[in-house]
Amino acid sequence: MSFLGRGGPSPAGGVNHERIEMAINEIDMVSDVFNRIVSSCHAKCISPRYAEGDLNKGESVCIDRCVAKFFEVNKKVGEKMQSAGASAQATGSTSFSL
Amino acid sequence: MDFSQLNSAEQAQMTKIIEKKQMQDFLRLYSGLVERCFNSCCNDFTSKALSSKEEQCVMNCADKFLKHSERVGQRFAELNADAMGPKP
Repeated sequence: MSFLGRGGPSPAGGVNHERIEMAINEIDMVSDVFNRIVSSCHAKCISPRYAEGDLNKGESVCIDRCVAKFFEVNKKVGEKMQSAGASAQATGSTSFSL
Repeated sequence: MDFSQLNSAEQAQMTKIIEKKQMQDFLRLYSGLVERCFNSCCNDFTSKALSSKEEQCVMNCADKFLKHSERVGQRFAELNADAMGPKP
């Protein structure tokens, strides 16, 4: 899901603002997902007792699985939204409006 | 997220933007961590000073969170690379 490489040619030696915008959006999106994963997996895997400063084996394994599951959920929700968007386009209606 | 499609002026601009974002991210991490460790560890207000138990808890909390964040980063990079697919 990379938006880079699209968005028209840049002026010679100059800066194509559209591509910069898209690159910035992609970076923001990726870092938002990363921060959410850190926060969610910390809540789910690490107890707030803080008996020691290192991750024990259980926590490490939990984190690995948590990140993998988060990506799975991300993918499935993305697919769902895509199909919901496609069917909404077909019927000419949207399920939510502002 | 590959930058080979951008020319050098665009790459230079992106580098500056990324540096700024990294700085903001770091500051956010710092203040988030302070709040998190305070909320978990400091619950006894009979004294103004941090007890040694609370201080140890805060040290462990900060340590653990940073290690956790590092590990998540490693897994994230692996899975993100897979999800993006192999480069053409």
